[in-house]
Amino acid sequence: MEKHKLFVIAGAALLGAALSACGGGGAAVAPKVSYIIDENNPVYKVIKEAQNMDAKDLYKKAMEEINGKEFTGIGNSSRGKTAKEYFINYLKGLDKDGNPSDEIKKAFPYADPNFNCTINWTQPKENSIFTMIDTDVKSSNHVISMTLIQDANQIAAKEINTGNFYNYIPKEWKGEESNKEPFALQSLNKIFEFNNLGNKTFKNCWDFVRTGETPMFMTPQSEPVGRNWLIMLSQKKYSDILMNAAKALEGTEKERIEKEANDLAGKASEFKLDAESGKYGLAFAKLWLNQYAARTDDGPICNELVTQAAAGSSACIVYSKLRSIAESDTSSKKNVTVAAYQDGYKGIGGYMYKHYLQVLKTSPYPWTSCAFIHFMTCTHDGFAAWGKDIGGYCSNTTTGVNQDHSNDGGTDFPVLNDKGYDWWVGTGEGKGNLVVEDGAYCASVELTVGTWLDTLK
Amino acid sequence: MKKSPAKSSHAVGSFSKALTLITTWLNRPENTILLVLGIILSFAVLYPLWSVVQNSLTIHPGKEAMIANSLGFGLDGLQGANWYYLMSGPYGQKYLWEPLGNSLLLATLSCVFALIFGGVAAFLVTRTNMPCKKWISTVFIFPYIMPQWTLALVWKNLFWSAKVTGGADGLLAFISNGAIAMPEWWCRGLFPCAMVLGMHYAAFAYILIGGIFKNMDASLEEAATILNTPKWKIIFRITIPMIIPAILSTILLVFSSAVGSYPVVHYIGGKNFSVLATSYIELRAITGDGYAAIIGIIMLVIGFLILIVNQLTMHSRKQFITVSGKSAQATKINLGKVFKWVCAVVLIIATLLTSLLPILSFTLETFVENPGDYSSFTTKWWVYHENGEVGMYGNYGVFYNASLWTSFRNQAIVAISCALIAGSIGFLAGYAVSRKRKSKFASYVNGMSFFPYLIPAVAFSVAYYAFGLQMGLGGFAGAMVLMILCGSVKYIPFSSRSSLSAMMQLSPEIEEAAVIQGAPWWKRMGRIVIPIQKSAIISGYLLPFITGMRELNLFMFLVSNNDQLATTSLAYYDEMGLTPFSSAVNLIIILFVLAANLLVNLLTGASIDSGIGGGKKNA
Repeated sequence: MEKHKLFVIAGAALLGAALSACGGGGAAVAPKVSYIIDENNPVYKVIKEAQNMDAKDLYKKAMEEINGKEFTGIGNSSRGKTAKEYFINYLKGLDKDGNPSDEIKKAFPYADPNFNCTINWTQPKENSIFTMIDTDVKSSNHVISMTLIQDANQIAAKEINTGNFYNYIPKEWKGEESNKEPFALQSLNKIFEFNNLGNKTFKNCWDFVRTGETPMFMTPQSEPVGRNWLIMLSQKKYSDILMNAAKALEGTEKERIEKEANDLAGKASEFKLDAESGKYGLAFAKLWLNQYAARTDDGPICNELVTQAAAGSSACIVYSKLRSIAESDTSSKKNVTVAAYQDGYKGIGGYMYKHYLQVLKTSPYPWTSCAFIHFMTCTHDGFAAWGKDIGGYCSNTTTGVNQDHSNDGGTDFPVLNDKGYDWWVGTGEGKGNLVVEDGAYCASVELTVGTWLDTLK
Repeated sequence: MKKSPAKSSHAVGSFSKALTLITTWLNRPENTILLVLGIILSFAVLYPLWSVVQNSLTIHPGKEAMIANSLGFGLDGLQGANWYYLMSGPYGQKYLWEPLGNSLLLATLSCVFALIFGGVAAFLVTRTNMPCKKWISTVFIFPYIMPQWTLALVWKNLFWSAKVTGGADGLLAFISNGAIAMPEWWCRGLFPCAMVLGMHYAAFAYILIGGIFKNMDASLEEAATILNTPKWKIIFRITIPMIIPAILSTILLVFSSAVGSYPVVHYIGGKNFSVLATSYIELRAITGDGYAAIIGIIMLVIGFLILIVNQLTMHSRKQFITVSGKSAQATKINLGKVFKWVCAVVLIIATLLTSLLPILSFTLETFVENPGDYSSFTTKWWVYHENGEVGMYGNYGVFYNASLWTSFRNQAIVAISCALIAGSIGFLAGYAVSRKRKSKFASYVNGMSFFPYLIPAVAFSVAYYAFGLQMGLGGFAGAMVLMILCGSVKYIPFSSRSSLSAMMQLSPEIEEAAVIQGAPWWKRMGRIVIPIQKSAIISGYLLPFITGMRELNLFMFLVSNNDQLATTSLAYYDEMGLTPFSSAVNLIIILFVLAANLLVNLLTGASIDSGIGGGKKNA
């Protein structure tokens, strides 16, 4: 009965959000996600206590809870596997390479070299993470404790509004308000890049969808964060950027884009997108879906993009993929330009999505869940699995967990010199203008813009 | 109230009579087997089946709830909102009707390619004097051993070009400096998908049709030849009717597999060619499990219809018995001095392209600096064992990569266990069903033994995942048990089809003769049935083994750690763009399966293709 009530409330909340978006004004002011809390839930009680605890006390609690036992986490990022090894090392007083560390022992005096536990880290494929979580929550025997999960749209609709997830924010964490609920581990870039061999130029984001262009991209249905990006383009903040970039175009392409946008004015009105620019957001999404060349993953796209044979090709991929390219006679990182790094570039530079850390309401090991989340977001070693790469930025901005990548490529490979989080999310001329994923907004226009995008070819 | 002695004695008599009847019925081994398998399979199959149906009628949180709410449906209990919206809403055309048409086309075309490719090869190897049979027979099954998307990748690497598909040039465009750019229909969409699936599943046709050709009683054809019947008439009136059971089995397996195939379309279908399997995955991502379950049910219904056709033909299969007590060796058709070599060369080239080229391609990929870039080579993917190499993401080279080898060991344990369980159950099911072919219960058991094949792997996996949670099967050991259980049930159709197809060719007279001599059941099986159909029975063990060695989707939910299985490691490496590692894992899997096939051949004289042209017996 209780489950039924929650479900109806969640459904009504979502529908309300969707309807308010449709009813005018909802799209401009994004609704917020709201956690459904059961004050008597033992996991919630632990989280409440943990949020006010110092790291060392929290880790001590976790060790008492998990020693000799098996903990299971589930995540979209395979690097959770590396992080959990560093975490176990930390609890033993060892650094991430497995060497005894006085620094760690000083920070965490309860570290015990004899501590023993197993952490399973599962990374489901093909978006099955939600199914696995729901099955576990409904089961009478719960296994999964916490998750590192992406796709804010579905997290909001399927897990937060249903009460499956609880939010834990470490006491020592400091960062942007927008990264608190749901609590984000990091933000990741997917950016416009192009192969600079040949004569093509990409000085405006609309150049990626000009006639004849086929930018390589993962199918949005394969990776829903890409779908969320296209939905986000209908939000005023980003459709304004697109509109201004479209106005900066010249010649036949300008006419083509204007015509495409005007043709979609009716749709924008039907979807109650208040802003005048809404039609530009829809136009970009439509052209992108019409023209992109579908690929299965960002790694293979990057491997293609850096070759001489791909002269003039373009893509929207995870920034860090460039880092693993080895220089050869036919492949080079020098062959690639990050569109937004060019002087005078107009429009969006790509998009940004996040990895969220959440505790399941049925977590068998809530102390360990909180401690592991704390470790990943508040320590250098904890974030090291992700922090070593360009294009990934820890949500914790003050404790020095982020690594500086502003000169990773030096003068040889300037494409690797990451301009950093603030630059990428900044708006205006000479900034990254990334479209930042907002789960609540996506959920609010899911029935209108989302459904329309799904049925486009 | 007391019972009268007469009534009581009557009741005892009735009970005793019923008991006698049951005992007599159970005394026939095929009845006992059917009863036990009927109970086990009902639970093992109906549970995930119900789970799929229930999912389709459940309104899951998220978009499903939003849609149901907007349509005025309730959110609790079982509802028809998902069905209503998918059938009539805006998603119908793109995610149901169009993919349905494409799936049927793809499955039909794949069957045609598989039958032509596999059937012709089987005929040439078993019934003609074509040379190089052993080579062809051995190599012909390679595409089936490899995960099906590997052939799709080979297709992509060969034929895609910057001009037509965007991005970098494939091999053909690269060596011709862009002059040769295959057309769009050749690169992406229905044709390449059907070709790849046809080549992948040609092994089914080859094994099943070849097995019958090999064991065929030649007396009918010889009689027709003596009566001066034209060759074409012999082929169409005698040879083909005799292999109809194998053709039907091939169609059943290929059609059902092709309808449910996701990876090939994912890799080379292109964004404008969608099938039910891609809809299944896409709908799970954008709406939820309910819509995906509907697609799963539709795939299941298609398979079920094919199964019914198959069942109907089974009831009239008496005329297809090809192994009788007086079998004679079939005469080999003389292809002529030149034509026999032409046939051999064509088949060798075909097998080189479909079998050895992918293996060479995988090997090469493990030695290149960047995937697909053949201008710079390295051995680091095999021998590196430090922590400084950025491009390897902290992984050691294959030789030093302990987690990779552990995952491979786990995969082998799961695959071997599944093969032993599924192979044994399937063999017994095939035997019992063939002996009671007119019985409705036998038909039921036969249907149940094939049903797992029709349920999408992901849906099957989800159901067993939920089952595992209920049973408390957690951790490494629990996950291994669950994977073995799930894999065994899912792979029973391979062995039951193989066994049934073989048993149907076996005249009951042979066993009946032994019964008259008083030979017990185990002796009849050990001395008569198994030796005669050894190759088909071994196939029934090897097919689940091969499938288990390259399975990903089925175990996706069940692994407790990413590095637990070789295929999940492979998926991880692919995701990270570490193609050399995934190529190495593929290579290791293929070599392991080939070595296992060779070992089985050395120990038993049989192998997956030994009933046809390969193996020790035919050496």
